[in-house]
This record gives sequence, structure tokens and C-alpha cells, in this order.
Amino acid sequence: MSTFKDIHPPEVATELGAYHPINQVKDYLVNLLKDLNFNELTGPEIESEEYNFDMLNIKKSHPARQMHDTFYLQDKSSVLRTHTSPVQIRGMLQSNPPLAFVSPGKVYRKDDDSTHLPMFHQVEGIYVDKGVNFAQLKDLIHSIIYSIFGKNIEIRFRPSYFPFTEPSAEVDILSDDGKWLEILGCGIVNPIVLENCNIDSNIYSGLAFGLGVERIAMLKFGVNDIRDFYKSNLDFLSQFK
Amino acid sequence: MKIPYSQLLKFIPSAPSMNEISEKLFQLGHEHEINDGIFDMEFTPNRGDCLSLDGLLRDLMVFYDINQNNPIYTKQIDKFEFDFLNEENNACPYISFLKINIDNNIKEYSGALKEYFDDLNIKKNNFFTDISNFILYETGQPTHCYDANKIDSPLKLKFIEGDHIFETLLDKEITLTDKNLAFVSNNEVVNLAGIMGGKSSACSNDTRSVLIECAFFNPEDIIGKALKYALTSDAAHKYERGVDPLCHEKVLRRFIKIIEEHTNILSINICQFKYKNFEKVKFKSDFKKANDILGIKISKEEYQDYISRLGFHFEDDYIVCPSYRSDIKNMNDIAEEIARVVGYNNIRSEPLTIPLISSTLGSSISFENKLKDTLIGNGFYEVINNPFGKGIDLSIKVDNPLDSNREYLRTDLKNSLLNNLLYNERRQKLSVKLFEFSDIYWLSEGNIQKKRSLGIICSGIVGKNYLDFSRKIDSNYLYRLLDDFLPKNDNKVTTISRENIQTKKQDEIVYLEIEINQLLNNESLEKIKHKEKNIIFKKYIPISEFPFSSRDLSFSIDDPSKYYDLQKFVLGFKNKLLKEVFVFDFYKDEKNEVIKLGFRFIFQSSLSTVTEDQVNEVMNKIISHCLAIDSVNIPGLKNLKY
Repeated sequence: MSTFKDIHPPEVATELGAYHPINQVKDYLVNLLKDLNFNELTGPEIESEEYNFDMLNIKKSHPARQMHDTFYLQDKSSVLRTHTSPVQIRGMLQSNPPLAFVSPGKVYRKDDDSTHLPMFHQVEGIYVDKGVNFAQLKDLIHSIIYSIFGKNIEIRFRPSYFPFTEPSAEVDILSDDGKWLEILGCGIVNPIVLENCNIDSNIYSGLAFGLGVERIAMLKFGVNDIRDFYKSNLDFLSQFK
Repeated sequence: MKIPYSQLLKFIPSAPSMNEISEKLFQLGHEHEINDGIFDMEFTPNRGDCLSLDGLLRDLMVFYDINQNNPIYTKQIDKFEFDFLNEENNACPYISFLKINIDNNIKEYSGALKEYFDDLNIKKNNFFTDISNFILYETGQPTHCYDANKIDSPLKLKFIEGDHIFETLLDKEITLTDKNLAFVSNNEVVNLAGIMGGKSSACSNDTRSVLIECAFFNPEDIIGKALKYALTSDAAHKYERGVDPLCHEKVLRRFIKIIEEHTNILSINICQFKYKNFEKVKFKSDFKKANDILGIKISKEEYQDYISRLGFHFEDDYIVCPSYRSDIKNMNDIAEEIARVVGYNNIRSEPLTIPLISSTLGSSISFENKLKDTLIGNGFYEVINNPFGKGIDLSIKVDNPLDSNREYLRTDLKNSLLNNLLYNERRQKLSVKLFEFSDIYWLSEGNIQKKRSLGIICSGIVGKNYLDFSRKIDSNYLYRLLDDFLPKNDNKVTTISRENIQTKKQDEIVYLEIEINQLLNNESLEKIKHKEKNIIFKKYIPISEFPFSSRDLSFSIDDPSKYYDLQKFVLGFKNKLLKEVFVFDFYKDEKNEVIKLGFRFIFQSSLSTVTEDQVNEVMNKIISHCLAIDSVNIPGLKNLKY
């Protein structure tokens, strides 16, 4: 039986905060790819058109380069990067194959509605070596998606178009309600891009892929409105401890 | 682009089902929806060649035998001298003009023209414009029809600069600004090249003499203009994605044929301008490389068959690309063609192990994570804000902002974090502790500079427990918390005045913003070991937008043995309206051997604002259970309404 002297104060529960859920998912994806031997590489959010477009074989006539899609800065002297691919260009220019980079970070596109935000996050990966092919890319993509969504998930590849990869594919998973959901884009690095980075495309080939962090966070956490991630609402953020 | 299934079937004798065609289209990479027997196609930007009935059939030819033999006008066409001056040969290397006079008797639409309007339920305009629209749908080549009696020669094609008023054939008046490629007659813009014609020279139902223009424009000189002037233009959509530079004669002969099916043609004349020779794209065919790129093993015969069916042909060891496939440049492109035919999902995966590659290129992410761990361990939440806002002198300007409130990139994190804090205070939060890591950009002597910053903002009570409940966050709180990280004697922690903020709160707002590099040399950080968090993907529960209601209860406990019973019950009490409960007060009265224990109860509903009665009902349950515990009292209870 307790006596007065035995009484201990109530436990002082330390109230923990939380990493932002988008950064949690971003770090999760990066770690997953690090485990597959990708090295993490980051780069600037303000980029030149050369790195953001030209080096990636995105021609001046490509819709992505238009003012309605890309934020231009300081009288068109720079852009807010529209993807993290320029980080890979910087990585390829600074090192020789074989190389494997994963580049996470914020990217910007001129959208602002219920399903698109002007700022969002990508995790992109590239692997350049001798003899890299599309069948191997499929194996890697399966590994990534199975790690995220479990081995029972059904996956399909669709032809797509990205100027920096050729062939290019988009990958869908089958949701519980029978709908195909687009998860990532990928492809074999366009030899033009390799040559732009002084890599001999007759010797080396590469694979590349890009994941939308918000997309995966929405699916995994069951968040329906992408804007919820950026309201900084403590009731929302506290659910991701 | 909408293409009826019935129209595809006219050209595919084997009559595949709609589902089968749908599957083949997906395999080829052509996304679509099917509504009422119409394929609503969405093509990738590199496949402008597919933006027509003929184009889609060309791609399906790899799977089906297709009879693509639309009748064309086959007689010789006399040339005529047309006073046309092309000042921009690079922007328009190929252009043709066809002049046709017809009699007054235009019959009801028939044949392919009628089916086009009927199947797609499209509103008719006038005879020539309707045929032009049909030709665009069928062949993918835009044509523009001028009423020949409304055009004065010479007609010039040139880039015009500066402001020009232009009234489109759809009666919309726009002001052309900057540089635009345009057809000009008598110093008047009569046609915004590749986008839309002008009203002054437009055809009408009375037009009997027509000048039909059929051109190839460089996509870079067209792109973005339709959007800029808010014009809906199928022609621009096609020109932006590239059209076939060698199709003019065939397209114009098809145009004549359609006219001929509907009225008597009195005269036909053609005038063609070609400013450069078309260079066929060809490169060495490398069957092995196609297999290597894909990781498959198809035979050379299969390879040649697939490529040939897609319209390519072989000259010696070279692949020659059809003029409409401007997207094909090398063997990787050919490999993609093969993959589309084989089916991406039919290519078997090949195990891949990426070797461990050492890299000297690194990042400072792990360092940031150590800082984050410390903050999160003390109740701080990480936020992410977008970088747009109002500017100051050093701000980087966005040339094309979303709106006037987001014209610049922020030069610090303060305003974003302050807005985050006030937002949460309005949501009745007792304590708000937030931080953000972000790159910050600004101008210095015209050059863009970058730094990586950490911003921290906090206000309210230190914590929701009996030790911290009555303590308010102040500068010292943040200094104590970050003592190990902050440079010594550096007064970075500040307070933000509430004077100009619309808030009734009085709590001090404490703010710190520091460049990450200023913390890098701090030895104490080396001692902190960041452990990667194992993410738990718990399903998110939508948050309530209805306000909280809170109640406090203070208990007096005479029998120490009942102290734990009371705590256990209250902290373990569950109710769908009770969102949170915590101990905000604890006191041991040594003299009288009495324990005082205070709880705060917070109520919220996801369906509506909680009412006084709803709260009281729950509180009464709690109180009656607590008072049933021996020696537990609620001082002053008589005065309460529970």
C-alpha cells in the first residue's frame, strides 16, 4: 500500500515533434536507394536553362520550357529547376562511369490547383555503366516498387516520352479499387545526354528514374489533398510522428 | 484528340473490337479514354505525327493490315503566280497556296466530310473552313483558307514586333506584343501564322473564291503563342508538335477532292515555295544495339519487319526515317519503337546489382538531421513553405509569377514561419514550435547568392505537462535548448513584436534564423548520432475543422493509494469527442499530506462544433467515476454546472 512519501509525480511525457511527412518519405526513398548502392547528391534549386533543359536534350520547342510551365527568374537568366535531373548532369560532369546517384529535392512548376502545387519534391536516380539495359531497369523498378508497396502489388510499364531518356516509360501500380495509378517515370538515358556530359555512349549506357515524393506520400498515408502537406497545420503534422 | 472507333474500322478490314484496339493503343503508348465509342486520345509531345486519323492508323499498321487509300484529286494542276514574300525562310521553309473558284451550288455534306461532322457532333462553320478542319483531323496538316477576294497582294510572312491589334476570325480582338510570326497584307496582320487567321480575310458562306495556305512552320516559332493570347487552336497544337514537311501536295489534292465531291470547281491553281531541301534523317541500322538497349533477343527479320511496318525503310545498312517522324534520331529511338511493338510488359526483367561506387560528391544532409533530431525531441515540428512572396531590394524576381503576391523569392524564412505560427494560434494551439530548413537565394551585385538556413519559431507554453504548463516560451528557452549548437556570444535569438499582427495573443514570439554553415564547426554536434527513423505508414485521419472546447478539473486526494487509480482512469478514459487529456498541475501538500492533481480535457468533433451539453455529458461520466474513488474530491464542485 502506497504511503504519502511513496507518491511519485505524474510521468512527464516528453511531447515529441515530427519530421515533415514529405521529408520522411523523401528520406525513406533515398535510404531505400542508398541500400541499392546509389550515392546521394544534391544541387541548387536555381538553375541555368543549360543544365535544366539543354543538357537534358529538352529542346527550346518543348512545352516544359514555356513560361506557363517553368518559373523564369531575373529576366530569364535562370529558372527554378523543374526537376532534379540537372543535379545528375552536374554529377556526371564531375565523375566518370560507373556512377550511381540519387538526387532528392524541391522542384518547381507553374501550377497551383487542387492537384498540382508550384513546389513539390522529387527523388531521381541515375546509373551509368557498361551494358545497362531496359530489362535491368525493369528489375530495378520492380525492386523499388515492391519495397514501397509490397511484393503483391501489380505493376505495368507504359511507353512515354522524356527527352532525356530513350526508351522512356511510365510505371503504374494497380490500386485496391482496381484503378491504375501512375507512380514513376523512367527510361534508358538518351545517348545525347551522355555525350553532353562527356560520357562515351558507345561504351556506356545508363538508366534513370524519377519518383514524385508527394504522390507516394499521399498513397502511403492516405492523404487525399496534396495541399494539406503545406498548410503547416499542427493537427495534420502531429499525425506523422 | 477525338477519333471515333467507327472511323478507324473503315480502314481496318479485320474489324478488331474496340477493347482490342484500346489495348494496342496502350501498348503503343497512346493514352486514351473511350466515351460513347469515341477514343479521346492524348499523345506525348514527341508524337505530333499521330495527331490525326491517318497518323493513328499509321501507328496501328504495325498490328493490322490497313487500307489507307483516301481518294485524292489526281489531275494536273496549273501553276499561278502569287505575289508572296517570305521574309522568314527559316521559320517557314515550305509553303504552298492553292487558289480555287467554285460555282454557287454547294451540296449537303456527304461522304467522309459528313461522317466527320456527324460522328464527332461538331458545329459547322462555312464550307471551306469546314473542309479545312476535316483535313486537319484526317491528315494532321493545318491549312488556312482566305477569302481570295479579301486578300490584297503582296502577302508577306514576317516577324512583326511591338504592339499590333489583331481581330481573329472568331471575333476576338487581341493585342499582339513582342515578336510574332504573321502574314501581313497592306500593313495589316491578316493571319497569326500557325495559330489563327484574321477576321478581315476570313471565309464565309458566300465565299466562292478561296486561297488555301498549307505551310510548314518551325515549332519553336509557334510554341506558346496560342496560350499567350488565350486562343484555342488545333493548328497551333499540331504545329507546336511538328507536322510533315513533305505532305503539302497530297493534302491539297485531298482538299480539292473533298470540294469536288460537293460542288463544281471552276478553276484550280497552285503555287509552291520551297526554300530549302528536305534532308532525310538516316543513320546506320544496328540490329544488335537495339537488342542490347532493351535486353532482349529478337531476330533480325522481326526487327526489320517491325521497323518497316512503322513506315521506316532500309537503304543498304541505313535506316531512313519517314518525313513525318521528326522524333527519331538514333538507335535508342529505334529501340523504343521495337519495345512498343513487343510491348513493354513483355520484356522480361534482367537481375541488376549496382556495384558499390565510392563518390567524393556529398551533401550535408546528415548534419541537418542531427539538428532536426534535437528539435523534434523537444516538441518542434518541421514545416516546408514555398519560397514565393513579396520582395525587398535583394530579392530575386520571378519573371512569370503565379500572382502579384508571389513575385519574388523569399530572402529569409521569417514571414513564412510567422504565418505558420499565427495559423496554428488561430486554431487554438497552446504551444506552437516550428522549424524549417531551406535554401535561401538573394542578389548581390547582380549575382544570385545562396545559403542554407534554419529558421525556428515558437510561442505559448513550453509543454503540455505539469512542469511546463505554466512556463511560457521565451528567448532563454530557445537559448538553453540550442546552447550546444549556437555560436557563443551570438545573439541570434530574437522576439517578434505582436504590435502589427492581428492577434489577441500576448505570448512572446521567439525567433531564430541562422545559416547552417555557422553551426558546422561546433564540436558538440559531432557527439550527436543521428539514427535514421523507421517510417511507419499510418493511415492519416482527416483533421477536424471545428473548434476545440476544453475543461479543467482539479482533484484533491487524501489517500495516497488512490492517487494512481485516479491517474490511470482519467488518462485512460476514451470518448470519441475527447481528443486529448493531460496533467497540467501536480502538488504534494506535505503538511496536510494531500495530493492535488489537475487535468485538462480537450474536446473536438469531426462532424460539428461540440456543444456545452455534449461536453458536460462526458465530463459528468468522468466526474462521477472519479468521485466514486475513495478519498478523491473536487474542491469547489458545488459551484460547477457538471
